[in-house]
Order: sequence, then C-alpha cells, then structure tokens
Amino acid sequence: MRFEEELVELLPRLRRFARGLARHASDADDLCQAAIERALKSRDQWQQGTRLDSWMYRITRNIWIDERRAAGRRGVHAPIDDAATQVAGDGAAEVEAGALRGDVDTAMAQLPDEQREVVMLVLVEGYAYREAADILEVPIGTVTSRLARGRETLMHYLGEAA
Amino acid sequence: MSFDPGTIAAFVDGELDDLTARRIEREAESDAALAAEIARYRALTAKLSAHFAPIAEELVPERLRALLVEPGVDTSMAARRNAKRGSFAPVHWGAIAASLVLGLTIGLRPWAPAADIASVNGRLVASGALADALETQLASDQLANAEIRIRLSFRDRQGRACRSFEARDLSGIGCRDGGRWELERAIGGRGSQEYRQASSGELSAAAAAMMAGDPFDVAAERAARDSGWRN
Repeated sequence: MRFEEELVELLPRLRRFARGLARHASDADDLCQAAIERALKSRDQWQQGTRLDSWMYRITRNIWIDERRAAGRRGVHAPIDDAATQVAGDGAAEVEAGALRGDVDTAMAQLPDEQREVVMLVLVEGYAYREAADILEVPIGTVTSRLARGRETLMHYLGEAA
Repeated sequence: MSFDPGTIAAFVDGELDDLTARRIEREAESDAALAAEIARYRALTAKLSAHFAPIAEELVPERLRALLVEPGVDTSMAARRNAKRGSFAPVHWGAIAASLVLGLTIGLRPWAPAADIASVNGRLVASGALADALETQLASDQLANAEIRIRLSFRDRQGRACRSFEARDLSGIGCRDGGRWELERAIGGRGSQEYRQASSGELSAAAAAMMAGDPFDVAAERAARDSGWRN
C-alpha cells in the first residue's frame, strides 16, 4: 500500500489519540494536521517494514509536547485547560463531593500530560506496555508507573465503579 | 489479596505471562476482594474505551484527508476507502461471509468444514466449539491457553447478552438472540496480521460502544450463564 493510503487508514485512530491529548476537537485536528505534514516531509525517516502507526503516534505526541512546552515558556495557559483547572482550583471540595463524577473528559483533564498520553496509548488505543514505551521513548517501567498513577486518579474522579 | 496493584493492572492489560495470569484467575474465584479489584480496573478501561470509541467512527474531516488523497481522485472511491477504514465497522456479511467461513475452516479444523460458524437465515451464527465457548465458558474461569478465550460479557442496548472472544483465526463479539449466538463483529484471529494491527484494544472498544451499562463482573457473568443468558 502507498504511504499516503496507509496514513489515511490510520487517521480515525490518530484523531482519537489526538483528541485524548488536546481534547478540543479543533485543536486535536490541528494536531493531526501538523503530524501529517511532518510525516509527509520526513517520510524518508520511516523505515519500511516498521510500524507506521507507532511512528505516527510518536510524531503526533512529540508535536503536542513541543507545543505544550512552548506555551508554558510563553506563560500561556492553553485555553483547553482553563475549564478543568478552574473547577479543580477553586472547587476541589466539589470534586470530592462528586459534582464532576462520571465525566471522563474532566477526569482526564486532571492528569498531567505524561500520564494522559500513557493512559490513551494503553487503555484506549490498546498498545502493549512495550509498544507504548517505544512510542514515548521511555523505559517500560516509566510507562507502568505513569499508568498506575493515571489510573488511580481516574478511578478517584470517576468513582468506585469507574 | 496477594497481588499488588501493578500485577492486577498487568493482568487486566493482558501483560502477564500465562502462568501468573492463570494463578490470578484461579485466585479471583475464591477471593472476592481480588475479583472486585479486577472488575474495577476492567470497568475503567471499558469506560474510557466507550468514551473515545465514537471519535474513531467519525468521518475524517476533509482538510485532513485532502493532505493525503490526491485532488481529482474520484470522490466515490475516496468515500469508499473512508467507509472501509475501520476493522470493526459493522460487518458486511454478504461480501465477506464466504471468505470468512472458508478462512476459518482452513485455519482451524480442515476436516470439519465450517464447524464454528454457520449461516442461519442470512445471519452468521456461532456453532461448534465457538458456540460452546460462548454458551458455557466463563472469562473468570478459563485456561490462559484456551483455544477460544472469552473476554468481556455485557448487555447491549437491546438487552441481549453479548460476549467478546478471541480465537486463533477469528475474534469478535457474539450476542445471544433467539437461542443462538449471532456474530455482531468479527476480525481475523489473534494470530492474524489484521488482528495485530487492530490490536485487542479495538475489540474492547467495539464492545464498549455496544454496551449498555457496565460489563459483567465475575458474579454477574456466572449468574447470566446459569440462567441461560436470558434477556
């Protein structure tokens, strides 16, 4: 299959992953667009016979991390975080009281970036720990510990029955 | 409970070696706290899968597709390619039934033609060993190396009992309807290229998308089986 065709087939999953990272649909599609453009530009770096999906997820995730860091340096809070952090900031007790129970997006927003990406890769995209570690270029132990902390937080916010 | 959270997580994520997985399965039968903990982990995965699954079903925005599909490409072709993108799109039985049954027959038991899938009134239903597994096998009580492995059991929005399963040549979801197990979703088995690409997460996601409420826990699964999977 042609490189472009394979990418087209990947798009639905990639959009889902991007939505987990960036959350707002339009931000997520912007992220996908940037990832596709970078992939097309650096297609020589993809080695035939290796997994295109892992390669694409890595590109997507790296662009996202770069953007978040750049926004952080500029002192800009990405607008996507405002709703969640405000609620958590001045209403931690409400959260405890269960006001936000059951909202997956809100629960995911509580996670630090490095936990959210692991949760997305393993629990939503179904990657094995080893594959997630390869995509994120971290040791497998880092994947399991971030996943454990992410899970704990999600179960807390989503209630006992998750 | 003699397993730490990391081990339970690895079990639920399918990351344990068979031996340890079997030990946990056995122990969960008599250890209610362990069984509850496993159910809690599974419920979180199912909830996340269900939440995000619809995004992968959306039509990909044209501005993204346009980056990859050459302009001038016949749009009906493009639409068709878009439509067949998901391994778990509802199965178009007419087109693939024959090859599926054939593939399964060759792969699984060449001497027993189409033993595990039959066509009844134009619907594909489980038969043979697959029907037996769906009818009687408990996810909480199966060998790690079982030929057919049951994963999740749940009720769909029509109130039918449904179960996702994995076998070497076929994985999918069967729902009990009129005394039979109709195949609602199917992809190649866990040994196939197609399945490795789709990954078992897609199976969970497909199940989560069909599910009304939470997946059955150990007790609910047993109770449902013992009552004959009645609606």
